Amino acid sequence: MNDENHNARQTPTPGPAPASPATDVPPVETLRPVAYLEIKAAALLLFTLALIVGSGLYLLYARGAFEPTQTLVLTADDSEGVVVGMDMTFSGFPIGRVRRIELAETGNARIIVDVPRKDAHWLRESSVFTLVRGIVGGTNIRAYTGMLNDKLLPDGAVRPVLRGDATAEIPQLMASARELLSNLNALTAQDAALASSLTNVQALTERLNGPGGMLGVLMGNEADGKKIVATLDRTNALLARLDGMAARADKQVFGAEGSKEALVPEVRATVAQLNGLLADTRTSLKKVDAVLVEAQAIGANAREATTDLGALRAEVESNLRKVESLVNEINRKWPFARDTELKLP
Amino acid sequence: MISRLPGLSLPERVWNTARRWAVAWWRILYLGAVVLVLVLSPSSYGKGTRRALARHLYLDTAPVLLGFTVLAALISLVLTRIVVVTALSYGLSRYALEMVIRVLVLELIPLTAALFVAMRCTIPNGSQITRLRQTGRFDALRAHGSDPVRIELLPRVIAGVFACITLAALSCVVALVLAYLGVYGFNLAGLPSYTRMFGQVFTPSVTMVFALKTVFFSLAVALIPMAAGLYDTGDRTQPDSELGGLARMFAVLLMIEVASLMGNYY
Repeated sequence: MNDENHNARQTPTPGPAPASPATDVPPVETLRPVAYLEIKAAALLLFTLALIVGSGLYLLYARGAFEPTQTLVLTADDSEGVVVGMDMTFSGFPIGRVRRIELAETGNARIIVDVPRKDAHWLRESSVFTLVRGIVGGTNIRAYTGMLNDKLLPDGAVRPVLRGDATAEIPQLMASARELLSNLNALTAQDAALASSLTNVQALTERLNGPGGMLGVLMGNEADGKKIVATLDRTNALLARLDGMAARADKQVFGAEGSKEALVPEVRATVAQLNGLLADTRTSLKKVDAVLVEAQAIGANAREATTDLGALRAEVESNLRKVESLVNEINRKWPFARDTELKLP
Repeated sequence: MISRLPGLSLPERVWNTARRWAVAWWRILYLGAVVLVLVLSPSSYGKGTRRALARHLYLDTAPVLLGFTVLAALISLVLTRIVVVTALSYGLSRYALEMVIRVLVLELIPLTAALFVAMRCTIPNGSQITRLRQTGRFDALRAHGSDPVRIELLPRVIAGVFACITLAALSCVVALVLAYLGVYGFNLAGLPSYTRMFGQVFTPSVTMVFALKTVFFSLAVALIPMAAGLYDTGDRTQPDSELGGLARMFAVLLMIEVASLMGNYY
């Protein structure tokens, strides 16, 4: 406050200040009256208060302060990436919020999740919880419920959380990649099998391009290659001879154009003769057929005659019987009839 | 600064500068403590001062409220649009809204509100205090047995703090609403997920840092220009104490911002 006294001594020097500081100095600002000042100020205060209180209430609501919740404890061997306030999702919808992370006495991480009662029915006894950490983005806690008919998850349930970690596989991947690279290195080294194979391939292609070519490569030396070539030549000659033989056989079988000496024309003539023979046979058979028809008619007549003969014979027999009876009658009646009666003495 | 002090050896000049610097900061701290005591004592809200307080409260806040809200809304719209479109092109749209809220509501708007109040209200009020002091109004008040700090300075400080907090609160609410509208459009479908995301951003520690930052911003903006106006530098070769006060105010704002960033992200 010493400075104030010092300043007060300084003040009269600048500006249009009045000469005597003891007199009432008019204020610098013009005190224009504000209509309904107190009401306006109170309204402004109330407005600010409402704004702050409303924001606070919205924040409390957003943080779930007014929602009845139940607790779920997830145990994990590693809580890396889990932060307080993060969501637990079910089918992509947030149904819980991590309230606290603590280290259990067994050395596991205990993730305490608040689940609002209205969403708790999604969690059942058989629900599975996973902790998934992506390469990009945050860690997610997800709940999966296969059987929605199962019993409800009780308050304070402790469940293990399964870890599906994309980054956890990176060391393994790196080890595999390193192994692969060392294999590649071994393959491509100066004295590696691949390099010697390539050298051999190069030698092979050189031999392929050289005299003897593929045959030389296949047979191993040039002499054998030449034998193959000679064999091919002889085969060609043989084929030419076979060709001539085939031509001759052809000529013998089919003959030249118009000649009758070949096999096929003779066969053809024989066939024509056979055709004529068959036609003659057919006419002979027709005649035999007619003879047989006539013989059949004769047979029929003979059968009829036989039938008539039977009747005739019966008639003759009856006539003979009549004649016999007549003769017997005459014999009996006739005086010249001999005494047939035996007279015993 | 040091070169402006002729006829003094280098150690004396360094000593003078250091002393002035220390005195200026001490005055700010001292005035802050005095104002805090006065704010907390019920006798400061007597019948006579209440009217002056109401007048300053109203006149410092109401005229700038609408203009600043419109400005904040415009900034919010533009920034939301930029962030959302950029995030969409990188396939990170689910982080866009969170980023908008963090950047706008947590960082930009309180600072902008504080600077706006400083430019519009508290720096002119500091000049008024200087003029009042220079015209002998303080001496007159003292002669009447009144405390000039309580009569003239306290209402202006309280009004500055109040304006700062009101502007920040209103602009934050407007920015939140506009960010929601900018992302989801005019429907209520995204409100549950927006609320959830809001709750996730404003963890208790972040909320506390945000509230403390806003309060300290408003205190710095309201107090430092007043301190610069109330006290002279005591050095005839340094007439530009207002500019010094301004520089100190910016330094304090910067320090508060850095401290809040460290509190939030370290």
